[in-house]
Amino acid sequence: MDDYLPLVVMFVLAVGFVLLSIASSKLLAPSRPTSAKDAPYESGIVPTRDNPERFPVTFYLVAMIFIVFDIEIIFLYPWAVIYRELGAFGLVEMLVFSVAVFVAFVYLISNGALDWGPLRRSRRLDGTLDGNRTSSSTIRRIPSRTQVEGEAAPPAAREEGASREAVAAGAAVGSTSEASTSTEVPV
Amino acid sequence: MGSLLAPALLATEAHAESPEFPILTALIVIPALGALALALTPASRPELSRLVGVGMSLVTGAMSVYLMTQFVIDEPGFQETSKHSWIESFGISWNLGVDGISLFLVVLTGILFPLALIGVKPHHDTKSYMAWLLLLEAGCMGVFLALDLFLFFVAFEIVLVPMYFLIGGWGYGERVYAALKFFLFTMLGSAFMLVSIIALAFLHERATGVLTFDLVEIAEAQALAETTARWLFLGFAVAFAVKCPIFPLHTWLPDAHTQAPTAGSVILAGVMLKLGTYGFVRFGLYLFPEAATWAAPVLVTLGVIGIIYGAIVAAVQRDLKRLVAYSSVAHLGFIVLGTFAFTSQGLQGGVLQMVNHGISTGALFLLLGMLYERRHTYEIASLRGLQRAAPVMAAVFTVVMMSSIGLPGLNGFVGEFLILIGSFPTRRWWAVVATFGVVLAAVYLLWAYQRVFHGDPDDENATFADMTWREGAVMAPLLALIVFLGVFPRPVLERIEPAVGRLITHIEERSDFTEPAVTRQGTGAVEVVGPAAVEEEGAEEAEEAGAETGGEGEG
Amino acid sequence: MTSTAAVLAQQGDLLVKPEVEWVAITPLLVLVGGSLLLLTLSALTTRRPRRGTYALFTVLTCAGAIIASVALWDRVQDPARGEFTALVGALTIDGFTVFFSVLIALSIALAALVADDYLRREDLEGPELYALMLLSGAGGIVMAMANDLIVVFLGLEILSIALYVMAGMHLRRVESQESAIKYFVLGAFSSAFLLYGIALVYGATGSTNLSEIAAFLSQNVLESEGLLLAGFALLLVGLGFKVAAVPFHVWTPDVYQGAPSPVTAFMASASKAAAFAALLRVFFSAFSNHASDWRPIIWVLAVLTMVVGAVLAVVQRDVKRMLAYSSINHAGFSLVAVHANTERGVAGALFYLLAYAFMVLGSFAVVTLVGRRGDAAHDVDDYRGLARERPVLALAFTVFLLSQAGVPLTAGFFAKFYVIGAAAEAESYALAVIAMVTAVISAFLYLRIIVTMYFAGDEAEGDAATGRHRVAIPFGAGVSLAAAVAFTLLIGILPGLVADFARDAVPVLLSAAP
Repeated sequence: MDDYLPLVVMFVLAVGFVLLSIASSKLLAPSRPTSAKDAPYESGIVPTRDNPERFPVTFYLVAMIFIVFDIEIIFLYPWAVIYRELGAFGLVEMLVFSVAVFVAFVYLISNGALDWGPLRRSRRLDGTLDGNRTSSSTIRRIPSRTQVEGEAAPPAAREEGASREAVAAGAAVGSTSEASTSTEVPV
Repeated sequence: MGSLLAPALLATEAHAESPEFPILTALIVIPALGALALALTPASRPELSRLVGVGMSLVTGAMSVYLMTQFVIDEPGFQETSKHSWIESFGISWNLGVDGISLFLVVLTGILFPLALIGVKPHHDTKSYMAWLLLLEAGCMGVFLALDLFLFFVAFEIVLVPMYFLIGGWGYGERVYAALKFFLFTMLGSAFMLVSIIALAFLHERATGVLTFDLVEIAEAQALAETTARWLFLGFAVAFAVKCPIFPLHTWLPDAHTQAPTAGSVILAGVMLKLGTYGFVRFGLYLFPEAATWAAPVLVTLGVIGIIYGAIVAAVQRDLKRLVAYSSVAHLGFIVLGTFAFTSQGLQGGVLQMVNHGISTGALFLLLGMLYERRHTYEIASLRGLQRAAPVMAAVFTVVMMSSIGLPGLNGFVGEFLILIGSFPTRRWWAVVATFGVVLAAVYLLWAYQRVFHGDPDDENATFADMTWREGAVMAPLLALIVFLGVFPRPVLERIEPAVGRLITHIEERSDFTEPAVTRQGTGAVEVVGPAAVEEEGAEEAEEAGAETGGEGEG
Repeated sequence: MTSTAAVLAQQGDLLVKPEVEWVAITPLLVLVGGSLLLLTLSALTTRRPRRGTYALFTVLTCAGAIIASVALWDRVQDPARGEFTALVGALTIDGFTVFFSVLIALSIALAALVADDYLRREDLEGPELYALMLLSGAGGIVMAMANDLIVVFLGLEILSIALYVMAGMHLRRVESQESAIKYFVLGAFSSAFLLYGIALVYGATGSTNLSEIAAFLSQNVLESEGLLLAGFALLLVGLGFKVAAVPFHVWTPDVYQGAPSPVTAFMASASKAAAFAALLRVFFSAFSNHASDWRPIIWVLAVLTMVVGAVLAVVQRDVKRMLAYSSINHAGFSLVAVHANTERGVAGALFYLLAYAFMVLGSFAVVTLVGRRGDAAHDVDDYRGLARERPVLALAFTVFLLSQAGVPLTAGFFAKFYVIGAAAEAESYALAVIAMVTAVISAFLYLRIIVTMYFAGDEAEGDAATGRHRVAIPFGAGVSLAAAVAFTLLIGILPGLVADFARDAVPVLLSAAP
């Protein structure tokens, strides 16, 4: 038990420091909130609506893929440590493991999981999405005259005219074309 | 007796091993093959299907008659046995045999099926209709011939499927409901029997060390404790009681019989009800002699209730077909009474009555089918005076009806008479009550006859066409049998007698029951020759009496 | 225990390198390898393959697994060699393993054939379903060969995780997504129970290895059995969930209904069989000398499962739900065989599972076809007049339904016969009678479907009135159906073939060994 005492002390100190910092800043710092301070900074322009909360699904996907492969690589470390003792057996096992991981990687690549560009021809989506849809075909460039009208139009109409960039990006990994109007109309 | 029988059995088995034609197997396989062949014929050619169906059933019928000629009269054991291992790890075998008890049921099946197939044309989809009927025939043959409990159960249960489709597909009115009710009722009964069969086999294994489903082996060993045997008997009894049907379990029968197509009704009444009573005789009594004597009072009481109840309910029916259906409940009550009287005459009467009922009720349903084809109704109230429009049919109907009532000189009388005198010594009061059933049968049938055939026909009934030659040809063999069995039942009884005697001895040896001396002395002489002789004398009288009764009805 | 000791003893010099008998796990390797190969090949080819290529590949893989199993069968049935353990006692290779390998491989093959056209019909084409099916099947085989509770868990997870994904495979059906989530959440929950059970059993006996547990239990008398009994109970919860035993069945109807129909077919056949394999292996093989403790629980489970399955099946309108409840009823029947705790009982359960696999695969194949595009036409009324429209399909479905009802000359009858035989031998007559009564209750349901197919609707109504597409029977599904019908009837008429296979596949009693 004694061996663990330094760890416990370390833990207590770490937690204590965090709590102390938060508490002290709460107590000591002056707090005078105004609405302007709370608002997000958008290049000095007064925001007209809430922040977009959706990211293209690709962000999450890439993050997950990263985590999966990262963790799998970790298995290589203990193996590397006792590589010599394990000998041929270890080699074979690790080979099997690597093959499985690699196959998964190949599969992901081929399925376009890591593609960021405009919609790539994906076998899976052939039936549902038109491969000819690209960022140039799906994004409507709004000319300056209609821009004025767009401002006057009700919010629903504006959303409809919204850029489809997110759609194009998101669709590459399987979300359907209904994938929301995430980005704002460039005003 | 059992030990004495063993060599005889061995002899028959050795006999079977000689490379003879396996006629019993053929009786099951040929209709089944016919059904398969039908499946391959094109649906667009109903006449071809019909040809195959009728042909196959005729071949089977001819073979069953041939079997009867080959039957050794004095041999009480099973004949023509054929045994082949089927599922070795369970000791299940393809084990067939025929004795006096099953012989005539086989022949009845063999004769009724072609008649039903020829006599009634389905109104659609001839191919499937024929195929189901042939499958049904194979199943029925299987039940009567099986000497292996597993095989018996398979056959007993498989007949439900064709019958279900026949009622559901070609029946009338509430056919789907009737088919479902029929299937579920029977299956529920069988469920208990299956548990009993399996338990029986395993208990037998525990006692003797041999796992087998061989009927003879299990029955001769009698390796069960008394209470166990009674429980197992109950399991069997439920299945058979539903099939018979015995009084409180009969409710599926009127629906099934009424809604079934004509051929279905003929087979249902003629053959399938016998599966239950035959089961009682072959399996109930043989496997569980002690339990059977223990349960006999209850079963006999229910049988007698069935006789009276069936007759009373039949009398108040508005539907002719339903009336005949309820009459079956009453008739089957007689068979149950005869079976559980445990006397030679009673049992012989029971077996004979199974055949008789098959012939006469089958014939009745065929006649009703002809009637329906002309008038499209079974309602008694809308039929009148058919005698004038169709005298031949009326005459045929009279004979068949008289056979069903049990008029002396016709087959029904012999069976009922044997049952009554057979049950009188052991079940006196039940026999007395049952006698009233005979009277009631006369009441409801004659009354119905009077309402349908007598009087002046109104518009629709006046144009009622008489029997065609084809219909006559179908009815002729049945009429011939009705008269022949009524006048000269001896060839039948002398074949039934040894098997029944053996069964009674089997019961006596293995239970407290002893057959009364009265009926025992009679074995061999009195009841075989007796009724026949009486009938031969009184045949003419009987005919006259029949005419008189008819006359009374008219007046 | 011994392996840990060995490790400790040799810690100083060298690590123990486990001997891997690759030959022993060939069926497993074939399935996993096939799955990986399928993914790789499909990833590397840019052009869309010819129709049916994936399904054909899957079927060939399964055939390979079956051939490998047959080779193993010869080895384990050879009296001179017999069954053996592999991978330091983690796996048992015996007839039991081979039986389930064959059963699972057959299920995958038949389900894949049905899936082929289904995926095309629903615009879901791709190798994923096949790869997942193969992987899931491999998990099932792991469960069947496990000789260690941890390996059981491992197999269960491999089986389940693939199944969760497969259940949600239909991208455009909300029900499919729902079923996947439901299955996943409840499945994870039940896995936790299983793990906890394993932990408790480990606590009570000091090992997770089944042979060692059995040896421990046969040599020692536990002072207090609380821990062990709680372990049994939790193991039963975990495995009961997978076999869909009442009261752990609530996921079944929703998941079976929502999942793509070929996946449901796979679930009801292979996944259920694998769960039973684990159940039998653990309780019959290892815990046999504590049978008096767990048999009453199984008794109650079996009765509840049969009764609830049969009764609730009858009141359903959706055919997939009906079959889901009926599969619960069938699980109850298999539990009856487990309850017997005899060799014949285990053989009966094996027979039942094999027979049921064919019936249910066939049934769901028909359901897949009748479901039409969208996989939504599953109401009883959608079967109206099927006999007129597609007589052969209706006849095949009739065979499967009658077989499930237990009508003689079909596989289902002999399966019930075998199970009831086992119950009778074990003198549990009440259980046998209850089982048969529920069989009659559920027969009502099967007959109801048959009635709808054959007798519902007048001739006058005709096909035009319904105004829908005629059910198509594509080649793959046709082959699958034909095979299922053939097996159902063949096993029904000559049950001896499979009965002997099942009898020889009964695992040895671990506790009987010294």
